[in-house]
Amino acid sequence: MNKVRVEKLNVYGQVCPSTLLLALREVNRLQDELHRGEVQLDIRTDNRFATATIPNAVRNMGFDAKVRKEEEGYLIQVCAVRS
Amino acid sequence: MGNMSPILMAMIVGFLLGLLAGAIMQRSNFCMTAAFRDFFLFRSTTMLAALLMLVTVSAVFFELVRFLTGAESFALAAFGAPSLVTILAGGLFGIGMVLAGGCVVGTLYQLGAGSRLALWALVGLIVGSALYAEIHPFWSAWRKMTTLGQQAVTLPQWSGLPAWFFVLALVVVTGLLLWRWPRAFAPLPGWRELNGFIPPLYAALVLAGVGTLSVLFLGNPLGVTTSYAKMAALFERLLVPGHLAATPFFQTQTTISFPFVAGLLAAGPGPTLDGIAVLQFPLILGIILGSALSAWHLGEWRWSRGAPWSQTFSVLLGGILMGLASRLASGCNIWHLWGGLPIFSVQSCFFLTGLLPGAWLGGRLLIRWVLPEKHQGDGVNE
Repeated sequence: MNKVRVEKLNVYGQVCPSTLLLALREVNRLQDELHRGEVQLDIRTDNRFATATIPNAVRNMGFDAKVRKEEEGYLIQVCAVRS
Repeated sequence: MGNMSPILMAMIVGFLLGLLAGAIMQRSNFCMTAAFRDFFLFRSTTMLAALLMLVTVSAVFFELVRFLTGAESFALAAFGAPSLVTILAGGLFGIGMVLAGGCVVGTLYQLGAGSRLALWALVGLIVGSALYAEIHPFWSAWRKMTTLGQQAVTLPQWSGLPAWFFVLALVVVTGLLLWRWPRAFAPLPGWRELNGFIPPLYAALVLAGVGTLSVLFLGNPLGVTTSYAKMAALFERLLVPGHLAATPFFQTQTTISFPFVAGLLAAGPGPTLDGIAVLQFPLILGIILGSALSAWHLGEWRWSRGAPWSQTFSVLLGGILMGLASRLASGCNIWHLWGGLPIFSVQSCFFLTGLLPGAWLGGRLLIRWVLPEKHQGDGVNE
């Protein structure tokens, strides 16, 4: 089984809609590797609304997204859709 | 002293309405800035549709209040005769709210939920109000020159048509949109994953109720920005009392009446505890606390980390523009969109006319100058 590389993006305390835009920029940068399942993008943020906007946007782009609550905010994991 | 008890009651009502509004806004991320900004940037209509629902339901409720109590439209004088310069003020406000990442009330509930950036917006709002005080005589003259008639404040008054005709037209338009494009009103598909989230459309219904209770019990729709001018005056009294005394804006005064308080209370931007303080201070405190309690209840209250300097500067500048524009337009977005549009105030229509291109321009400035090319500070790839 291939090892999945984890890329991390921390976007705390940012003005709206910076969190979403930075996340999309990163997803776009990594989109080929994300599609091939070689990379998983871990986005950490304290922006509550981003836990709705980011998963919605990346699912529209054909990726999967999971949201988890953490001590300092939220973890949004973006990866390829597992068939 | 005989009025003390009704005044205290009015303050308690304002505080409770603020608590409810703050909690609902925190849960739904209800944001008038996002309504316009996200439509221009992402073609997202969720928040804009919620705002349309807020205006429509408020219009129905306000008309019902007018019909049932037999009172003339409330607070008409406070909206004032329409002046063309309000379009310019609305434009400045639109730029400011997008740069600040939230409007004059969004700033309060974000602050309540622990946003450090919101504190900078609040500082900006106070500074902007102080700036307006310096140009008040010049602006008043300009406003008078561009005022269109003195008698008609609302579209029904201008046109001679009954108010219910406009309310009905708005209900029909909103109803048709809801029927033809229900998806435009729907929350984001993944909203159920968000802990304690209230879809903005439902939030709009509750907030329309909050605005109506404010009209019923406090005699005015919601507004907060004269308090920012008051805070500016309080700081000037501490730092430059001579200048404060020589600034005409801070000496201006009118009167305000409350439905359950006998007589009139003085109201103005000066550093005194008057009718404005009774009306707005408890509301402001309530919104901050309501949002904080809501976030704490969800286990999500935390003091946010600092943002990149470019964003901090943008938020401060946005706050200054909003504080200035609120006084240029004799009211903020809450006053004009939540209170003025539902009674079809022409002044509020002018404000919206300016706000739309302002919010678009603010979005372009934000993308071009404020947001980092690559993530900064904590945004480091590991």
